[in-house]
Amino acid sequence: MRTIDLIRFAIGALVGHRLRTILSVAGVAVGIAAVVALTALGEGARRYVTGEFEALGANILIVIPGRVETTGAMPFGGVTHDLTLDDVRAMKTRIRHALRIAPLAMGTETVRYGGLSRSLPVIGTTSEFQEVRRVTMGAGRFLPEGDMDQGGSQVVLGIKAAEELFGSGNPLGRIVRIGEWRFRVIGVMAPRGRGLGFDFDDLVIIPVRTNLAMFNKTTLFRVFVEIDGADAMRISEQELEDLMEARHRVKDVTVIAQDAVVESFSSILGAMTLALAGIASVSLAVAGIGIMNVMLVSVSERRTEIGLLRALGAGKGQILTVFLAEAVMLSGFGGLLGLGMGLAAVAVFIEIYPAFPAAPPLWAIASAIGMSLGVGAIFGVWPARDAVKLDPVQALARR
Amino acid sequence: MPAAMDRFVFALSALIGHRLRTALSALGVAIGVAAVILLTSLGEGTRDYVVSQFTQFGTDLLAVNPGKVKTFGMPGMLGGTTHKLTIDDAEALRQIPGIKSLVPMAIGQARVEGGGKGRSVFIYGVGHQAPETWQFPVGQGRFLPPTDPRRKGATAVLGPKLSRELFGEAPALGRRVRIAGTGLLVVGVMEPKGQLLGFDLDDSAYVPVATAMDLFNVDELHEIDVLVEHADLIPDVVEGIRALLIERHRGEEDFTITTQAEMLDTFGRILGIITVSVSGIAAVSLLVGAMGILTIMWISVTERTREIGLLRSLGVTPGGISRLFLTESVVVALIGGLAGIAFGLGVAAIAKFVVPTMPLKTPSAAVVIALGMSLVVGVTSGWLPARRAARLDPIEALREE
Amino acid sequence: MIELRSLCRTYRMGSEDVHALNNVTLNIKKGEHIAVVGPSGSGKSTLLNILGCLDRPTSGSYRFSGKEVGDLGEVELSGLRQRWIGFVFQFFHLLPRLDAVGNVEVPMLFAGVEKEQRRQRSRRALEAVGLGHRLRHKPEELSGGERQRVAIARSVVMGPRLLLADEPTGNLDRHSAEEIMDLIEQMNAEGLTLIVVTHDPAIAKRAGRIIRLEDGRVIEGGVDLQPES
Repeated sequence: MRTIDLIRFAIGALVGHRLRTILSVAGVAVGIAAVVALTALGEGARRYVTGEFEALGANILIVIPGRVETTGAMPFGGVTHDLTLDDVRAMKTRIRHALRIAPLAMGTETVRYGGLSRSLPVIGTTSEFQEVRRVTMGAGRFLPEGDMDQGGSQVVLGIKAAEELFGSGNPLGRIVRIGEWRFRVIGVMAPRGRGLGFDFDDLVIIPVRTNLAMFNKTTLFRVFVEIDGADAMRISEQELEDLMEARHRVKDVTVIAQDAVVESFSSILGAMTLALAGIASVSLAVAGIGIMNVMLVSVSERRTEIGLLRALGAGKGQILTVFLAEAVMLSGFGGLLGLGMGLAAVAVFIEIYPAFPAAPPLWAIASAIGMSLGVGAIFGVWPARDAVKLDPVQALARR
Repeated sequence: MPAAMDRFVFALSALIGHRLRTALSALGVAIGVAAVILLTSLGEGTRDYVVSQFTQFGTDLLAVNPGKVKTFGMPGMLGGTTHKLTIDDAEALRQIPGIKSLVPMAIGQARVEGGGKGRSVFIYGVGHQAPETWQFPVGQGRFLPPTDPRRKGATAVLGPKLSRELFGEAPALGRRVRIAGTGLLVVGVMEPKGQLLGFDLDDSAYVPVATAMDLFNVDELHEIDVLVEHADLIPDVVEGIRALLIERHRGEEDFTITTQAEMLDTFGRILGIITVSVSGIAAVSLLVGAMGILTIMWISVTERTREIGLLRSLGVTPGGISRLFLTESVVVALIGGLAGIAFGLGVAAIAKFVVPTMPLKTPSAAVVIALGMSLVVGVTSGWLPARRAARLDPIEALREE
Repeated sequence: MIELRSLCRTYRMGSEDVHALNNVTLNIKKGEHIAVVGPSGSGKSTLLNILGCLDRPTSGSYRFSGKEVGDLGEVELSGLRQRWIGFVFQFFHLLPRLDAVGNVEVPMLFAGVEKEQRRQRSRRALEAVGLGHRLRHKPEELSGGERQRVAIARSVVMGPRLLLADEPTGNLDRHSAEEIMDLIEQMNAEGLTLIVVTHDPAIAKRAGRIIRLEDGRVIEGGVDLQPES
C-alpha cells in the first residue's frame, strides 16, 4: 500500500471522530509543550550562567589565597600568608604565558555624596581589570594605567551606585567620600548586572593600593591572570602554583581555571534541565495512555470495517499498519502542535525577560518530535494488534 | 438511601463492563498523582534534611556580621568596614538580658602541623563558650580555657578527623601543633559532628579568637554567634544588640543581625516554591488525564444512546442521567487517585529502604490534596459528557440503530 | 475452479465442539451460478467465508484454481482475496465517511494502485452498474439499492474471477432486489463465477445449481457430474 494512501486513509478515520481526535492530540500537545518550554528555561539558565563566566574572558586563571584540603569548601577569609602585590609583580615576570594580570582587593564602606550615603562593596584593582573582565564604560573612563603601587584617588562607579548618589546629575569630576577618604569620579560603568556573586552595578572601584591602605589589609582577595592561549592554560596553572609555593614556602593558594568552573555549572544545570524534562514527560506518558484507550475503543467500534477491509483483500499487516498510522499521526500532530505552543510560550517569556537567553536546545526539539512519534508508536501497538486479531467472519455477520 | 446506592452500583456496572477502558483511564490519573506525590515527598524530605542540618546547632541562635549586605547564609563575609566588629563589641553584648552565651569568631585557613604531618584546614578562632552555644560537645579533654578573650592563648582544640590525620590513633591531648609558625598546646578533641553545607567541622582546628586574629592579621571579627535563653526573647535581644552596637559604632548600622529562624524561613520558602513548581509540572499530567477521561466518557455517551433513551422512557430525569455519568467519571478518577497515592507512597517506601539517606517524606497534606485533585479531575472531565447525555432526546435515542 | 474435499470447520464453544461444516465435498466450475441454501445454522455463512478465504478449514482440502488454499500463507491468502475474489454482503458495509467513488477505490488502496488509475477504474465500475450520476454521493445519501450497487462495483473493480454474495437482497425491497440480481447475473453471463447464499427460494431458483446444506453437511447438489464447460 502506498504511503500517501495509508496516510490519507488514516486521516480520514481520525477526521471522522473529531472530538476524540482533538482531545487526544491536545493531550500530547500539552506534554510536548511542557517539555519544550521547560528545556528552554533550563537551557536559558545554563547559557546565562556560562555566559556570565564567558564575559570574564576566556583563558583566565583565578588565584585565591588559602587552600583547604577538605573537598568542597572554597577558600575564603583570613589566611596566614598574604597574597600581595609583590606576588603579582612576580607573576608578571615569571609566568611566561600571562597576557594580563589584574589584582583584586575587597572591602565594604559607606560611600557619601551630598546628603546621600550608601554602604557599598569597594573593589580595589588596576586598569588591566577592564580588559580581563571586559568592562564597558557608560561615561568617562576606567582606572588609568600605571604602576599598581601608585595609589590614586580616582573612583569608578557602577551605574546603580551612580544613580543612587547622583540621581540624574553627572557624577564625572565630582568628589565622593568613601569612609574618611576623598575620591574623584572618573567614570561610570555601563549597566552590567550580576556576575560571579557581585552586582556590578552596585559597587565602586578604586586603585588597589589605595584600597589596601583604606582597609588596612595586606592580602589581596583574588588575582585574575589572563593567559595568551587555551593550550598554555595547564602549564600556566602549574607555573602559578609552583611560583606561589616557592614564594610562600607553603602550598597556601588555590589556582582555578575558569573553564573548569563553567564546566561544572554547565553540567549541573544540564542535569537539572534533563530532570525537568523528565518530569514533563510524565504528561506525555499519560497522553499516550489516553491515545491507547481511544484507539482500543476505536478498534472495537470499527470491527465491521476491519472485517470488510480484510474481505476486500487487506492483509493483517496492512490493517496493523493502518491503526498504527492513526496512533502515530495523533501523537505526531500533537507533537507539532505542542512544539508550536512551547515555542510560543518561550517567545512570550523572552519578551518579558529579554536578558534571559531562554531557547530550547536542538536536542530537546529533536527529542520532542521523536518522543511524540514514539508515543504514538508505542501506545498504538497494542490496539493495532488487537485490530488484527479480530475475526472478520464474526464481524461481517453483524450489521 | 438505598436508591442512591443502587444508582451507584448501576454506574459501577457500566465501568466494570468495560474493564480495560476504565483501567486505562484510571491509570492516566494514577500516574499523574503518583508523580505529584513523589515530587512533593522529595521536596519535603530535602527541606527536612536542610532544617535538621541547621537545627543541629540549636534554634535559638543568631549571628551578628559586619557589613550591611544580607546575602543568604554568608552575610558580610567580604569583611572590611571602618567601624570594625571587635572582641570588645562581643564582650559588651553580654550585658544584654536574655543572652545565654556568645562566641566571637574569626575564621581562616592555614596549615596545621603536628605529629610530623601537616594539613591545610579551616581554623576557627572562637571564644570559650563555643561548645554550649553550638551544642557541640568536646570528646576528649576540654575546650579552650575561659580566659579574657582579648588575650592570645596558646591552646588549641582539634576536630576528630584532623586529630586522626595528624596523630593517627594516638591521643592528641598534650601534644603540640604549629599553625603558621605559632606553637599551640592541644587541650581537647571535639566529638564528631559531621558536615554543615560542605564545611567539614571534624577536619578543622579551634583556637582562641585573639590568636586567630593575630595569625591571619585581621583586626576585626567575622561573626559573633549569640545563643538566646529561649525563642520568645529573640526579638528583644535583637533590638538590644542593634541599639548597643549602633551606639558603639557612632550611630552607624554597619552590621547585620540574622536569626536562624529567618534563615530557615527564607530557605523553607525558597524550597517550598521549588517543590510546588516542580509538582505543578507533574500536575499538568493530571490535566492530560482529565482530557483522557473526558474523551472516553464522551464516546461512552454515544455508545449508550439507546440505553439512555431506555432509561428516560423508564422515568429517569435528565438530572438523573447526568448524575449517572458524573458518578462514573468521578469514580474512575478516584480509583486512579487512590492507586496513584498508593503507588507513590509505595515507591517512596521502597526507595527509602534501598537508599536510607534519600530525602523522602510524604506530608499528609499532599495525600489530601492529591485526593482532592482526583475529585476535581473526575468532576471536570465528566461534566461535559454528563450534560450531553442529559440533553439527549429520548425518542431520537431509541430510534438509533 | 473450486474443489472442496472432506472439508471440516470446527469451533470450540465452551467445552463442546461445534461442527459448522462437517465433511463437505463439492466442486464448482468456472462460470457457474450457484445458490447455497439451508436453514439457519446450517453452515451457509461458514461455507461462504471458507470459500472466500476469510477462514481456514480445520481439516480437509480446498483447491481454488488448482491451488491448495490450506498451504497458502497469510500474505498469499490476502492476495487471493484482493485479486480473485469479490464479496457482496447483506448489509452493504460501505464506509460512511467516503463517497461512492471513494468506497469503490478501497480495495485498490490496499493493492497499491496509484491515484489516477484508481479514480478511473472506480468511475468506470460505477458507470457499469448505472451509478455514473451518483459518484460524489455519500452512502447516507443513497437508497438501499444504490448502496448495494456501489458495493457490487467495489467487489468487481479488481476484476475477480469469483463473486461471493451473502444474502445480497436481504435488505432490499422487491424492486431493488430484482435490479441487483439482474446486475450480478449479467456479470455472471460475462464469465464471473457467482455463488449466492440465500434463504429466499425465489432468489435460489434463479441459479444454475442449488447446493443445499443442513447441519454442516451437503445434502444436495454438491457434486456436479457434468464435465467442465
